[in-house]
Amino acid sequence: MAGQDTTASVRVESLVKKFGKFTAVDRVSFATAPGEIFGFLGPNGAGKSTTIRILCGLLRPTSGKAVVAGFDVARQAEEVRQNIGYMSQKFSLYNTLKVVENLRFFAGMYSVPRDLADARIREAIAMAGLAGHEHDLTATLAGGWKQRLALGCSILHRPKVLFLDEPTSGVDPISRRQFWDLIHEMAGGGVTVFVSTHYMDEAEYCNRLALMNRGALVALGTPNELKRHLMKGALLLAKCEPLGPALEILQHNPAVVDAAVFGEALHVTVEDAAAATTSLPGYLAEHGVKCTRLEPIPPSLEDVFVQLTGRRIRAGEVTAS
Amino acid sequence: MARKELIQIRRDPRSLFIALIMPVMQMAMLGYGVSLDAKHIPLYVYDQEGSQESQALLKRFQASEYFDLVKTVDNYRELTAAVDSDRSKLAVVIPFDFSERLRDANQTNVQVIVDGTDDNTANLATDYARAVIGQFSVDFRTEWLRRQGLPVGGGGTVSIEPRTWFNEDLESRNFIIPGIVALVMALVGALLTSLTISREWERGTMEQLISTPITSQEVMFGKLIPYFAIGLVDAAMCVAIGVWWFDVPFRGTLTSLFATTSLFLIVILGIGFMISVAIKSQLGASQIALLVTLLPTMMLSGFAFPIDQMPPVIRAITYVVYSRYYVTILKAIFLKGVGVRALLAPVMAMAIYAVVIGWMATHAFKKTLD
Amino acid sequence: MFGRIYHLLAKEFIQLRRDKWARLILFLPPIVQMLIFGYAATFEVYHVQTVVLDQDHSQESRELAARFTANGRFELGKPVSDERQIRDAIDRGKATIAIQIHPQFAELLRKGQSAPVQVVLDGTNSNTALIALDYIGQISAVFAQDYQRDYINRVAPRYEQLLPSVGMQERPWYNPDLNSQWFFVPGVVGTLVLVTVMNLTAFAIVVERELGTLEQIMVTPIRPVEFILGKTVPFFLIGLVEVAMVAGFGTLWFEIPFRGNPLVLLLGTSLFLISTLAIGLLISTLCSTQQQAFASGFLFLNPAITLSGFAFPIASMPTVMQWLTYVDPLRYYLVVLRGTFLKGTGMQVLWPQMLAMGLLGAVLLSASVLRFRKSLD
Repeated sequence: MAGQDTTASVRVESLVKKFGKFTAVDRVSFATAPGEIFGFLGPNGAGKSTTIRILCGLLRPTSGKAVVAGFDVARQAEEVRQNIGYMSQKFSLYNTLKVVENLRFFAGMYSVPRDLADARIREAIAMAGLAGHEHDLTATLAGGWKQRLALGCSILHRPKVLFLDEPTSGVDPISRRQFWDLIHEMAGGGVTVFVSTHYMDEAEYCNRLALMNRGALVALGTPNELKRHLMKGALLLAKCEPLGPALEILQHNPAVVDAAVFGEALHVTVEDAAAATTSLPGYLAEHGVKCTRLEPIPPSLEDVFVQLTGRRIRAGEVTAS
Repeated sequence: MARKELIQIRRDPRSLFIALIMPVMQMAMLGYGVSLDAKHIPLYVYDQEGSQESQALLKRFQASEYFDLVKTVDNYRELTAAVDSDRSKLAVVIPFDFSERLRDANQTNVQVIVDGTDDNTANLATDYARAVIGQFSVDFRTEWLRRQGLPVGGGGTVSIEPRTWFNEDLESRNFIIPGIVALVMALVGALLTSLTISREWERGTMEQLISTPITSQEVMFGKLIPYFAIGLVDAAMCVAIGVWWFDVPFRGTLTSLFATTSLFLIVILGIGFMISVAIKSQLGASQIALLVTLLPTMMLSGFAFPIDQMPPVIRAITYVVYSRYYVTILKAIFLKGVGVRALLAPVMAMAIYAVVIGWMATHAFKKTLD
Repeated sequence: MFGRIYHLLAKEFIQLRRDKWARLILFLPPIVQMLIFGYAATFEVYHVQTVVLDQDHSQESRELAARFTANGRFELGKPVSDERQIRDAIDRGKATIAIQIHPQFAELLRKGQSAPVQVVLDGTNSNTALIALDYIGQISAVFAQDYQRDYINRVAPRYEQLLPSVGMQERPWYNPDLNSQWFFVPGVVGTLVLVTVMNLTAFAIVVERELGTLEQIMVTPIRPVEFILGKTVPFFLIGLVEVAMVAGFGTLWFEIPFRGNPLVLLLGTSLFLISTLAIGLLISTLCSTQQQAFASGFLFLNPAITLSGFAFPIASMPTVMQWLTYVDPLRYYLVVLRGTFLKGTGMQVLWPQMLAMGLLGAVLLSASVLRFRKSLD
């Protein structure tokens, strides 16, 4: 086919999207392979959703190039759409339609041939665990079921690339677990799955991760690579009393690379873990801070992100919106 | 709570824009667009005779400010086509024996064809034509009597001396504009409020609001106070435009205007609130709000269509239409400037409505929480 | 392409069937409004509350007062005895008109002079007052003519037969009884269709935008034109059904004639619906919430109805307002409705209206499709 590029399922080259003066996506470049689960990790407003929406052809890029399933998103939007699936955080289904009617509708939108459609709808119902509920109104389904139905609707045409924009927000942990099993199953079948998330545990399930902050791509690699290579030194957990002054005091100690508040404790990055565990309690006590616990811990992706950007991923998020 | 609603209104500048621009538009459109007066009626003339007498009669039609002579035709076909296609509203046909019959048979008729589609305009147009022809007849007769040497004023005439009160020039604008204030209140109040709560149901934010320790009265007042304020601002704007732009007289006091407007706003906001509590779909709420607020205010309040001309059943219904009382009061405040004593009955009716609807609204919300 | 449109249509109809509010909007308000309009919307003037202050107590003055009672347009209340009572009756709205016959009324008449009758009018409702005043003028003119005839008869009987007069033969065409219902019912058909179809279209699209399903559809290979067709065709069909229903109900209930060709009405309705759908679509592209859609719809409807000639004659509007009416599709549709219902006119008369609606529809539709494409970005 003319213009088709088969080396990668998604290839993005210095993609830029501006809304007026605001730059939502700032020179982002990466490529994915078929069958890969590719995660976007970053706080709200980091440009994850905007990037996904550009790749789906919902937004036009201001500059740069994006090729999805071999087609240019700016020039061949229709071919791109025939080869992708998309599911947003709202699980946008028609509440007044029955389960099977929603599936039939989306099969129709993707022009899935009739003889294939029926079999695939049955598969989708089985996959979503909705057998016996085919004729329920979608409005009556619980969040986890709605979410799996939405996924079922977006893969009826067997897309090569699947975009999931925060697919698990507002869903209980068990449903999230089941949902990720489905994603792994699909990736096993050769589908490239793009997931944006701000859940740390979910990020760990991805083959590769792109960390995004203020529109820019700040790091790219497997979760382990990110944790090993990007963390300078070792990480210590410190429980101190009082917390605020402790943070300030630690930041002034030459042995400390960085310190940040995590919950009710501090995460302290040091060059030498063994030396720091012995020297720091005394140093803190000198300044009138009591340290109840100080021990090395394995770094999380959140630690990596904080070290790279100075920001928390979930900070500032409204808890129940 | 009220502050949250105000912030939401401000964040949604389109709503605020609409709430404030709507009365201005409404006033401009109705102030300029609404006129029941018939002037410049397009006139066609078919003079079959072409005598001195027939021309004298036609000259009087041309001289009348109510008629604009468009064309003189010489066949029925053209005349019919003109009325069919709205080029003419009224056509005068003078028969071929007009002057002959006037001389010999003393009695002659002029045919007046009028497009009856719009009955009001047709009525006015026929009346004007009748006046022109009647005056011609009187003058012709006087002239004839004089020629016969008979006493001219023999028997005398009756002269009508009209004295119009309240709306001296009989301007339809003065009659329509006071009612528009009621129309605008009905709109801003009921429509915007009825949608705000339905929106919270549809988006699921209402469940969250309920789970907070806020009382139902607080929810209601918080939701309604901003709209109450907007309503009063809108009323002030309407009155200002009516008085300064359209020169509608304002003879009452501002105190009585704002007191009764506040009563009306309580009723209309209460109704809007109850609708939004009862109906959780925005589409449904908006349609029901239209049916119970705007439609009766437009049709059954006497705003434009006189209540005493309605059939008895409909007239009976207008007594429960709360806007009927407000429109009566508004027209009195603008044009009559009469005191509270003359308006006691409608003011009492409004006050009773305000108390009943206010009480029902405070209780309606509590029930839905269970 | 047709497959996708088919699925959109099927979905739209299922949704309409399940949405009890949409169903209600389609049937209840049109019938209620038709009934209320049919009965309440009238500018006719009957039983005007009138009081008479007869200070003359002559045969002539009683004769004149009797003619007011006989006319049928006036409802005479208890006679009043002084001017203060007139003021009171009009202030309290007990009477719209007060007729005051002065003490020398008969004397002046007999002397052959002009005998004044004072008429006090409550001008609040200018239309009623104006028409009532015309009736009073007519009644007293006939009274004077008859009085004169009697007088000639007494002084010179042989001239009585010779007294010349010019009469008027009225021929109200299309609506011989000048019945208000005949004027309003066809107009209500047009107004209702405009309100319902425009609102439903705008809401249907804004709801999808609010829920996010619009985005979900836009990532499928569907083209914007297909989506627009899928969204508007159902409402086009609904509009046709609505016209048939409301017009059928109105004509049967109020006994309004339908004198024209149904095919001409069908063509006019179709052209009008294109403009209506386009406006609904345009509103949906400007709004992101239903509340906004509702308010914007209203912002459009208010002038569209006022300026259409639905109740107030376009000819009496100021010139600038008259220009504005040319871009109001309802203006043209009302001419088609009243033409086909009352006048029985056909294409040879109505083609300019059809052409105007066709042009407006084409312009509005292209504008809304362009805006819709842009609004997706």
